[in-house]
Amino acid sequence: MKKIWLIIKREYLTRVRKKTFIISTLLFPILWIALIFGMGYLAKESVVNLKVAVIDSSGYFSAERLSQQNAIDKSSTLIPITTNADKIIADHKKEGYDGYIVIPAMSWKTGTDELLLKSNKSYGSSSTTIVEAKLNRMWNEIKNDSLQIDAVKQEILTGSRIKLKSENINDKTANVKTAEGIGYACGFLIYFILLIYGSQVMMGVMEEKTNRIAEVIVSSVKPFQMMLGKILGIGLVALTQFFLWIAFVLIIYNVGKFSGAGGGMANQLVGTMQSMFTGVDVPLILFCFAFYFLGGFFFYASLYGAIGSAVNEDMREAQSLSFPITMLVILSIALMSSTIANPTSPIAVWASIIPFSSPIVMMARIPFGVPNTVPWWQLGLSMASLVLGFMITVWFAGKIYRTGILMYGKKPSWKEMIKWAFRKN
Amino acid sequence: MSSILELQNLKKYFATQKAVDDISLAVERGQIFGLLGPNGAGKTTLIRMITGIFYPDEGQITFDGKKFDPINDVGHIGYMPEERGLYKKMKIGEQAMYLAQLKGLSKADALKKIKQWFIKFEMESWWNKKVEDLSKGMSQKLQFVTTVLHEPKLIILDEPFSGLDPVNSNLIKDEIFSLAKNGSTIIFSTHRMEQVEEICDHIALVNRGKKILDGTVKEVKQEFKENLFSVGIDHELSSVNGITPFEIVGKKKDLHIIKINEGSKPNDVLQYLLNQQTTIHSFNEILPSLNDIFIKLVEGTPAARQFQKI
Repeated sequence: MKKIWLIIKREYLTRVRKKTFIISTLLFPILWIALIFGMGYLAKESVVNLKVAVIDSSGYFSAERLSQQNAIDKSSTLIPITTNADKIIADHKKEGYDGYIVIPAMSWKTGTDELLLKSNKSYGSSSTTIVEAKLNRMWNEIKNDSLQIDAVKQEILTGSRIKLKSENINDKTANVKTAEGIGYACGFLIYFILLIYGSQVMMGVMEEKTNRIAEVIVSSVKPFQMMLGKILGIGLVALTQFFLWIAFVLIIYNVGKFSGAGGGMANQLVGTMQSMFTGVDVPLILFCFAFYFLGGFFFYASLYGAIGSAVNEDMREAQSLSFPITMLVILSIALMSSTIANPTSPIAVWASIIPFSSPIVMMARIPFGVPNTVPWWQLGLSMASLVLGFMITVWFAGKIYRTGILMYGKKPSWKEMIKWAFRKN
Repeated sequence: MSSILELQNLKKYFATQKAVDDISLAVERGQIFGLLGPNGAGKTTLIRMITGIFYPDEGQITFDGKKFDPINDVGHIGYMPEERGLYKKMKIGEQAMYLAQLKGLSKADALKKIKQWFIKFEMESWWNKKVEDLSKGMSQKLQFVTTVLHEPKLIILDEPFSGLDPVNSNLIKDEIFSLAKNGSTIIFSTHRMEQVEEICDHIALVNRGKKILDGTVKEVKQEFKENLFSVGIDHELSSVNGITPFEIVGKKKDLHIIKINEGSKPNDVLQYLLNQQTTIHSFNEILPSLNDIFIKLVEGTPAARQFQKI
């Protein structure tokens, strides 16, 4: 036991002290935030303020109405054209317009199905919908005026609406949207951790093998201890990184909460987090996350470790052998999407119990509520089968590892590796 | 003197070869034991069984008078494999500490011993360097230190001098002698026969998974001697069949190389030469070198042994 502890310590410390660990721990949340805000910013930037000529034959879209609307909404400009319409139709660019709309003669009762915004280049729908909304606002005004509906009547007509919200009376859960969000976030986090740290285990084993330190170490400890120490050490690194991120979020949350005037971004974050997590069983989700994260990590990391022991220094060999394992993780993500759409479907239930997909799929189901969406027996069975599952993969990987770590030469096939696993010593 | 290590009918078969096929041998305490054999003879497999990396399919290993217990006894064994291995990115001091503690030394003990060895080998300034900064010879020295640090009863060195310059070779060689003198037993595996002659007390030659020779260097040479002598005399020597007790097999400068006939003794030759009224300048027995013996025994082994079906 003391020797496993030494190995865990070495694996942990050499990784945590690396600059790349510190940088990636800090950078990941920053990139994440930058991504969210950056996407919003980019979407805004791509909207073009269109200057559109309106050639009206209906008589409804008067110059007065247009200038009134232009004053309210400045994200597009509609210019009424009364003279020289032919010039604009011939070359609107030359006249300084981005495009033009010809409104035919029509009755206010029937209107027209569609109008054409003609332009010499294409604009995104985010730009044209602004123009569309402006036209519709005017069209509503025109209809209201013709029906003699004043502002009071208008308020009555559009003011009250019936909204339908769903609420599960048995579960202590937030609305479905929040559950979906938490499900996706947990599922993807586990997915990243499995792939990133799983391949770290694989690379670590490959390093020991190609450096030929493996033979020195196995003359001191059993290969199984060596593998287990590596998996546990790297698992602790992942856990450390995870806790640092949680701490990071908590600090922002509390700073934002207590500073009050913490500025827009922090306040926004606090607001969304508070409204998001009302009714969410946070302790249960955190506990389950830690459990499935570790269970899934042991399950997959041991398989990645076995592959690392079987190949030589060639990365391509490792990739081709680890492809089936990586596929299993990706398949879990695919199953997660259908699970979130319907968390009680038979596929969702079984995918959350079978160990290869349960770490990701179960974490997508739990936010929908325990014990009603996920009965206790399903959670218990899933956890038990995950523990059994990783015990089997660790055992299996240990057998492959023992042979592979000292074997040089040709890359073995999966068939050969399975043969190693069932060979006596 | 009792045996530190005894192997009895050890067997290890792999899917395509009999790597070790019924080998028995005994290594005495304080001995420097040469384990010789061509490439692929089964030496590494044999060593891996002694170091607890492999379990033998059959046979028994007795270590220090008791049945070999891989989990506890590996703390008393130091093994330096032929393919050297160290963590490239790890600091040298930490690396030595780690390997020493894996062998069961306490932290304080490990630190004390590493400091002693580093001073002895003039490596004190290396502590915070990384292995990737070291030359091949330097990392070899570090590897040697980590192998013997925990004062093992049995030290197994596989080609310990490869890649070392003569100065460092001598440094390691002296260390091997002094370790043996202080009671450690050393199993020394190499292809360099001149080193074996210089260092080893006892040798065993392994080929095709079997032991084909076992004995002290002196015994082995006696066993394989061909009754050759070099004779330095004043005049030309010729042999006459049936009359001279020897045959002339060659001439090297002023020396005649003779082979003494069966049934005759060196003294018979001297007697004959004295009767010839010639001045004898020298008369020396030519013993075969281990190199010759090795080649003689191993020659003709098919190189592709590992692909044979068993």
